[in-house]
Amino acid sequence: MYIAQVITNGILLGSVYALLGLGMTLIFGIVKQTNLAHGVFIVLGAYLSSVLAPVLGIDPIFTLFLTVPLMFLFGFVLQYFLIGKAMQKGNEPALLVTFGLSIILQDAMLLIFTADAQHITAAYSVANFDIFGLKVSVLNVVLFCISLVTIGALWLFLNRTYIGRAIRATSDNPEAASLAGVSVKKIYAIAMGIAMASAAVAGLCVGMKWTFYASSGGSYLLIAFVVVVIGGLGSVPGTLIAGLLFGLAQVIGGANYGLLISYVILLIVLVVKPQGILGKKV
Amino acid sequence: MNKLSPAKHRSRVLDSMPLLIGCIVVIIALYGVLISGIASNNVMRYMIQIFLYIILGEMWNLLSGYAGMTSLGQQLYIGLSGYTVAVATSTFKLPLGTGILLAVIVCTVISLIMSLILFRMEGMYFSIATWVVAEMFSTFFFSWKFVGQGSGMTIRVTPYPKMFDICILSLTFCVGALVIVYMLLRTKIGLGLTAMRDDITAAPSVGVDQIGHKLVVYVIAAVFIAFAGSVFVINKGIIYPDNGFTIGWTVSMIFIVVVGGKGTFSGPIVGAIIYVFLQEYLAHFPGWSNIILGIITILVILFLPDGIVGTLQKKLHFELFSAKRISFPKER
Amino acid sequence: MSEPVLRVEDLRVNYDDFIAVETASLSIEEGKIVSVVGLNGAGKSTLMNTIAGLNKPKSGKVFFMGKDITGLPAEKIAACGLSLVPQGGSIFNSMSVQDNLLMGAYPRNARPHAKDALHHVYDLFPVLEEKKKSPAGTLSGGQRQMVAIGRALMTKPACLIFDEISLGLAPAVIKDIYRRIIEINATHHTSILLIEQDTQRALKASESFYVMFKGRVVMSGKSSEADPEELKRAYFGM
Repeated sequence: MYIAQVITNGILLGSVYALLGLGMTLIFGIVKQTNLAHGVFIVLGAYLSSVLAPVLGIDPIFTLFLTVPLMFLFGFVLQYFLIGKAMQKGNEPALLVTFGLSIILQDAMLLIFTADAQHITAAYSVANFDIFGLKVSVLNVVLFCISLVTIGALWLFLNRTYIGRAIRATSDNPEAASLAGVSVKKIYAIAMGIAMASAAVAGLCVGMKWTFYASSGGSYLLIAFVVVVIGGLGSVPGTLIAGLLFGLAQVIGGANYGLLISYVILLIVLVVKPQGILGKKV
Repeated sequence: MNKLSPAKHRSRVLDSMPLLIGCIVVIIALYGVLISGIASNNVMRYMIQIFLYIILGEMWNLLSGYAGMTSLGQQLYIGLSGYTVAVATSTFKLPLGTGILLAVIVCTVISLIMSLILFRMEGMYFSIATWVVAEMFSTFFFSWKFVGQGSGMTIRVTPYPKMFDICILSLTFCVGALVIVYMLLRTKIGLGLTAMRDDITAAPSVGVDQIGHKLVVYVIAAVFIAFAGSVFVINKGIIYPDNGFTIGWTVSMIFIVVVGGKGTFSGPIVGAIIYVFLQEYLAHFPGWSNIILGIITILVILFLPDGIVGTLQKKLHFELFSAKRISFPKER
Repeated sequence: MSEPVLRVEDLRVNYDDFIAVETASLSIEEGKIVSVVGLNGAGKSTLMNTIAGLNKPKSGKVFFMGKDITGLPAEKIAACGLSLVPQGGSIFNSMSVQDNLLMGAYPRNARPHAKDALHHVYDLFPVLEEKKKSPAGTLSGGQRQMVAIGRALMTKPACLIFDEISLGLAPAVIKDIYRRIIEINATHHTSILLIEQDTQRALKASESFYVMFKGRVVMSGKSSEADPEELKRAYFGM
């Protein structure tokens, strides 16, 4: 029974971890660019939801109808006009630009929202229920569903739509994609938009699950990076599995060493598989 | 007609005796100004910051512009050196000089150990790993009772060095760093680094020992950042995890090198001067300094990618001291 | 005389200071097959890549179906109905054969007919239907070229450009591929521009030809009337 509880908790936690990594696997694996600002974007999503929910008097989940399109647009514009231009100059300039963005955004949010701890509450934030003798919180189940729906939607999008196919094709062979009618610049911007949109969803989830600060970006980036590197760059199913495994590891390992475990796992993975699971050189 | 003739103009390398002598004169003048006491405390305050940030900038430039290692975690060595000096002087009552020496030794050892882990990674992975390692140490020091956990430690030395002493120290370390960089660029290692940077696949075939060169650069950077970090902490009087290991150090290094000019010898000098005065000005707007620095850095990367010195060198067709001007490789 | 499907006027292409194509002019009539032959480095591929929009020319013009497409980006030109199958690997190795083909129908105007076009491609290359779920990178050389050709066909293009389609393939496979190319031209009146190093095969398959040497078009004419001696001289720049 105890094992079942641990496993359940691990899976529920892991689904959120996978969600954190979703946007990063898209950019890291497909656009082949490291977005160091990904964690900060998740925090941005959390702040947006935390502000909109009380202002509009709606359940936090419904803020997604606003935050998702908003952040998609933000990501699109950012990539098309800023990051894309930096990418033309090389890998390092692009990395430094995303680094700069993460610093700017983080401090901007610090100015606007102060260093206070934040949390997004909903009517069911503390509700629990019993199922098959396991104690499960309503919130965790809700977040689990949101995560799976988002991950599933992204997978369907990548595999069953023209634009999704175009994103995968451009990642594989940009020149051939151009010849097939794809505007590479636009596709990268769409991919970034989607990554940001997923950050909006991730932001809502972390905001509802834990307290967050303007400075939380670093820890989210770390989790996203661990999940993506273990799961395989650009692989959505891989990210899901890695997230679940990571969640299980954290639940089994205990809460105290959480952050340190993340660091250590990441370093081990980076040393053991420096090229990433799929062996692609970054 | 040679269809394959390069379009770039040959640059004149201003490396002559007169220029070298000129620099030595400047250095002597600086010492003279300090020793004679002309410089006020306020002026010395600025000088300390400038000299120390020149060191940081030159080191990050060595790592990134010449050895191709984009490190986001050099703050590790600031924190380590600062804490070593603090522990040596406050806990073990050792003299300051010994403290600084120990700081350098600690950083050398740690950098050698870290190289074993970090050098197994390339590109993005390397960069993120450097940041992760620094964060690990920060987290560790935050909960370590021996070093005062979150509150940190103060530097206890009697007599406490005066601003004059700190200024002389920072000038000396700065000159030392510049000399080392200059010599490094002129030796076989320097040329090897240049070859590596220009074509990392061809370099081994020309007999360049990549890992060896990278290691030399990485350790030298750790050593001089340790020197700078020691003086920073002496100047400030206190160290705690948030100021010792903060990513802010990397932000400053990147700003200095990008704005000054990556891959140039004098770029970081210009960048450091701009940085110190800018920071002084931005102190009037609390919370805005990183934002402004970040925006300027991004704008420079996009619109003036060679930095101030780099762009001047390109336009006026000269090179100041450097073995060769390096530009960002176009991988896309 | 009706407007040729593709007309190139005095095109000049540079890479920095290196002149890859000094001046090139050619034209293809509707429904005809034209070949361009020449040594390696003669500038054939550069010319084709520029026509298709992968490079910008220094000067000169390209007209497609009467429209000036000079300097347009590759994706816009592909959507107009000019499909290039470039040299050496123009497929998406990590995607399935079917996904590769569907990518060919990416332009908005091609999507409604995608299903139709897919059936046509499978009729032409039955082996692709067999392997439609396999990753394209696992196919043999000849099959991969079929995927590339199939994808180019998905927009029902008015003009196809094949840059050394036979590179690295066994003679029997090459024969097969050429048969299909002629079939495509016969059934759909698709104009075809063939880049080939093998002059014999190119001349046999085409109605007219051009010879390129060091970035210039040095000879042209009807394939059936090509004089072997003159051809050799032009080919080697003698």
